Amino acid sequence: MPPLEWQIVRFTLAVCAFSTLLILPVGLATAWLLDRYHWPGKLLVETVVTLPLVLPPVATGLVLLKMFGRRGPIGHFLSQHFDIDVVFTWRAVVLAAAVMSFPLLVRSARVGFQGVDQRLEQIARTLGARDMRVFFTITLPLASRGIVAGIVLAFARAVGEFGATILVAGNIPGRTTTLSLEIFSAVQLGHDATAYRLLVVCVVIAFSAVWLSELLMKKRSME
Amino acid sequence: MKLAIRQLSLRLQQFTLGVDVDLQHARTAIFGPSGAGKTSLLETIAGLRRPDTAKISFNDQLFDDSGQNYSLPVRLRRLGYVPQYDSLFPHLSVERNLLFGSNGKPKDHTLEFHHIVDFLDIGHLLDRHVRSLSRGENQRVVIARALLSAPQLLLLDEPLTSLDAKLKNAILQQLQTLHREFGVPMLFVTHDPMEATAICEEVILLQEGRIIGRGDPAKLLG
Amino acid sequence: MRISVLILTAMLAVCNVNGAEINVYAAASLTDVMKEIGSAYEKESGDKILFNFGASSLLARQIIERAPADIFISADEAKMDELAKAGLIATETRRDLLSNLLVIVVPSDSKLVIASPEDLVTKSQKIAVADARAVPAGIYTKEYLTRLGLWQKLEPKIVPTENVRAALAAVESGNVDAGFVYKTDANISSKVRVAFTVAVQEGPPIRYPVALMKEAKDNSAAAKFLTYLQSANARKTFERGGFIVKF
Repeated sequence: MPPLEWQIVRFTLAVCAFSTLLILPVGLATAWLLDRYHWPGKLLVETVVTLPLVLPPVATGLVLLKMFGRRGPIGHFLSQHFDIDVVFTWRAVVLAAAVMSFPLLVRSARVGFQGVDQRLEQIARTLGARDMRVFFTITLPLASRGIVAGIVLAFARAVGEFGATILVAGNIPGRTTTLSLEIFSAVQLGHDATAYRLLVVCVVIAFSAVWLSELLMKKRSME
Repeated sequence: MKLAIRQLSLRLQQFTLGVDVDLQHARTAIFGPSGAGKTSLLETIAGLRRPDTAKISFNDQLFDDSGQNYSLPVRLRRLGYVPQYDSLFPHLSVERNLLFGSNGKPKDHTLEFHHIVDFLDIGHLLDRHVRSLSRGENQRVVIARALLSAPQLLLLDEPLTSLDAKLKNAILQQLQTLHREFGVPMLFVTHDPMEATAICEEVILLQEGRIIGRGDPAKLLG
Repeated sequence: MRISVLILTAMLAVCNVNGAEINVYAAASLTDVMKEIGSAYEKESGDKILFNFGASSLLARQIIERAPADIFISADEAKMDELAKAGLIATETRRDLLSNLLVIVVPSDSKLVIASPEDLVTKSQKIAVADARAVPAGIYTKEYLTRLGLWQKLEPKIVPTENVRAALAAVESGNVDAGFVYKTDANISSKVRVAFTVAVQEGPPIRYPVALMKEAKDNSAAAKFLTYLQSANARKTFERGGFIVKF
């Protein structure tokens, strides 16, 4: 496989790992809040969080383009005050991946938190643990099944992201071209060999992700 | 020890728990039939349940004062709680479970790790996984874990239920001498008169949420 | 009786029994001008023109995959040659229809002063160009910039787009600093202004060839439209759009 294609693979993996890491704290916090608390307007939050899952990806991409473009509310702010461009840069790739994979992390993590016996959290408190300690030593480990599944799904979704990415990041060789985008280009240009090679890479990545998550789950159940 | 409960009121499913009592003995039993409100009473003292009204203080430290909307957080009450349900942390080893309560706490000289572990005879269980413990072993580890958090009061909710006679006896003996050994007072919930008589100095009779008597266990439960 | 007349009329309206359907695949830059010519022809002839606009490279691929095109107008010779090699066009019908000019556009509210392509090197960060690997507008741009020795310097700034209209849209949105499009594209947009026009003799020769497909559904109807495309009426419309007429 030529070096150009390796660059695309490395870039895709790096961007997706980064975006998954980025959404982890916010995603877990959101999942936890949605599981444990009720407040007026909670349904609205749940709906907004689920939107990227249900909207056509290009529709989400359009929203992101309007918001983060140089003339959009957030894009203009970033451009004026920090001289940062989002659209048509690697940042847009991370943005698209993060937004599209966020609902998957939240939904899975929420199921994980739901399954935690809150009485055990209470016991931990009787033993003197502060709320933060209870969360990290009791809640999180007991919810890890759902959380790990959520991370794997989010990562896989990020790798497969296309519709929002092509709108908001473009398909710029060497700078924003991801695995999915390159397969698309290869097919468009009639470069079938490239397309098939990259297809194999996708299968390998997907396979590894699922295998790793199964491995982690086995380890946890043995503790 | 001095546990002062004033005007505790907690609406339950079938009736309202209403308790007004002072407890001073080191080993007190709360005795009554199932559904009398014993667990709810214990949970309220532990801070795991908010009463409708109450003023509770332990050794002059205020736990609850509903009038001032005050409730001391659970973790600051320093109470060891042994519930009826399985409460060991399933993802931690026995040893990790035991050490959970003493993390970052100032070590109390009378509550050393080995002392407690030997006393409850669980030294051989340290590396075991929680799921592999028998019910009797489970109970002893839970009691040890509670003790290791250096509590000022132990709350035990029917710890000997569902144990066979031989095991019951063994742990019974340990509970009998626990106060002498470690100086920690206890509230012991049970519906077994034999346990109450064997372990405690005073018994409180609870029925349908009301205290209907108190006194010497041997006399009252004879 | 009345009901059956109604039904028949409805069916006729839907089926267009009298007129033929002609599938015209045309380069993206021809979108507005061809729609005008198409609707004028429809009124005259009673035939229906169905357009498919896109990058010439994309359209050529579709035709090779046996998409049902009757007429193909490409923005460069290479794509038409491809189809000729595959034996898909009626070669005797092939003509050079139009030419165009390449321009550099900037957003109409841009403060950048671009007087020449060289200015792009220092004054711009992102330049929209139709994908230079396949789309004619991009290929022309790359040829031109390579000739000037600027391609290497500008390549890192280039944002490739699906077709030339997408490049125009990118400039309109303000998300890029400048873009290379045809003069005719700049004409239809009020959100961009032309900063520099590539003179005919400086730039690569731009040719829009047209041809009838060998497997055209209705040969005579398609041929009639092809003739119309080279009529005086069509010429007027093309020139109004800013195209250079080659027939």
